Amino acid sequence: MSDETAFIIEDDGPIRHLVLNRPDKLNALDLDQHARIKRAVEASSGDASVRVLVLSGRGRAFCAGDDLTADTPAAEDPLKGRRVDLEMGAGPAFLLESAAVLRACPKPTVALLHGHALGSGYDYSLSCDFRLATADVNYGDPRIHRGLWAAEGWSYKLPRLVNQSVVTPIAYLGKTMDGQTAHDFGLVHRVYPAGADLRVDAKPFLDALAALDLDAYARTKARILAAADLDFEHALAFSP
Amino acid sequence: MLEIRKTNAVTRIGFGGKLIDYAMLESLREAVAAASADNAVRALVLDCESGGDDWMNMGEWPARLAHRRPGGSHGPGPLPEQDAIKALRRFMKPTLALLRGEVLGLALDLACVCDIRIAAASATIGDPRILQGRAPATGISYLLPKLIGQSQAMRILLLGEPIDATEARRIQLVHEVFADAEFDSRTNELASEIARLPTRAWEVHKLQVLPQLDLPFDAAMVHSLGIRQTHVIEDRVEGIKAWRERRAPEFKGR
Repeated sequence: MSDETAFIIEDDGPIRHLVLNRPDKLNALDLDQHARIKRAVEASSGDASVRVLVLSGRGRAFCAGDDLTADTPAAEDPLKGRRVDLEMGAGPAFLLESAAVLRACPKPTVALLHGHALGSGYDYSLSCDFRLATADVNYGDPRIHRGLWAAEGWSYKLPRLVNQSVVTPIAYLGKTMDGQTAHDFGLVHRVYPAGADLRVDAKPFLDALAALDLDAYARTKARILAAADLDFEHALAFSP
Repeated sequence: MLEIRKTNAVTRIGFGGKLIDYAMLESLREAVAAASADNAVRALVLDCESGGDDWMNMGEWPARLAHRRPGGSHGPGPLPEQDAIKALRRFMKPTLALLRGEVLGLALDLACVCDIRIAAASATIGDPRILQGRAPATGISYLLPKLIGQSQAMRILLLGEPIDATEARRIQLVHEVFADAEFDSRTNELASEIARLPTRAWEVHKLQVLPQLDLPFDAAMVHSLGIRQTHVIEDRVEGIKAWRERRAPEFKGR
């Protein structure tokens, strides 16, 4: 699975689009795809010409989650001797890192959610600063319904993005949300009409992000992320 | 007396609309421990209808805590309350709180430590303890701001004014509101549905979320890895098999 068309990087001026492009698989993620996301985010973080990073999927879905049909090990083996649990499949160490790299990106990060946005795709969206969705998106984490669960950080991120009260239906009941429900929960920032092409409809939102002062953005973002784990006095003293 | 019933895979516990005293708290703690130890139990339903603690007459102080009875101008300490709440908090199987009639004070504390809260349309929910000149030490000051945000939590705890089911839904304190007439049937349905889920997976979700509320990001990630390496969900095999065979899975809860 080293097909390089599976992941497309496109620059629209200062806006860098990272596009999942395995539409026949509803953009389900195998280990190679996770590796590409991580590499692309790292490269973009250090590239001065990039002012906004956008994650989206081509075809009918943003991302249907992990590719449960992918039994073959990754071509480039991103785990290299860190395959921690043979019984349960590859350990979450790598996915955990790629989701963490996206969260730590100092630039504005946006997930464009349409069609299915599930499982590990949902998890990546929780690492972004902004989540924009179509009204008819099927968004959430139904992994519990397969006896599956993941360790990429959703359990830390979700209760800090929304009230803990709505964490339970999302994570424990595995209920998926449409755009309006996710907006009501405070998880999605903007809802666009069903079937909208978010690359087009959300362009004004992305342009506004691209116009922000990147240094101020990075400092503000670092403060917000750190303050989630600091008490009041230490949050006041924290100066990135 | 606490009402305890076990039907199929669900343990149901209720206060029967009565005020809660020490004996009921002790029974609650024991019933939760029994449900935890019983592999056949895959969900716990707590009917929280109660005006709260029977604070003028809590009954006999539990003998097992005789050596730890704090006193002073505020009366005895809240240890039996805390023990019951801690037992529910540490119970990793699904917990479902029913809010109908009056759910006040300690009854609200107990509802807030459950995973899912369902209200009947006519329910009255609140915490009048501040109006009684009391300050709860039941963990509600920790739980509520995390559940509904600090802004709404302050309103509930400091103003002491009760809210109705619609308002409780709006501020995300309860997840669903069912009409009174269908409250029993809808909540029974939901409990059975939850009891058919892969219970171990639910436990492992809870095992991550709850401790990670208090961990910094990097520590939370390591914590997740550790949980992942030390917990096996047997139902996972059935989950993937059913997905490949395009049928509904049948989980054992292990």
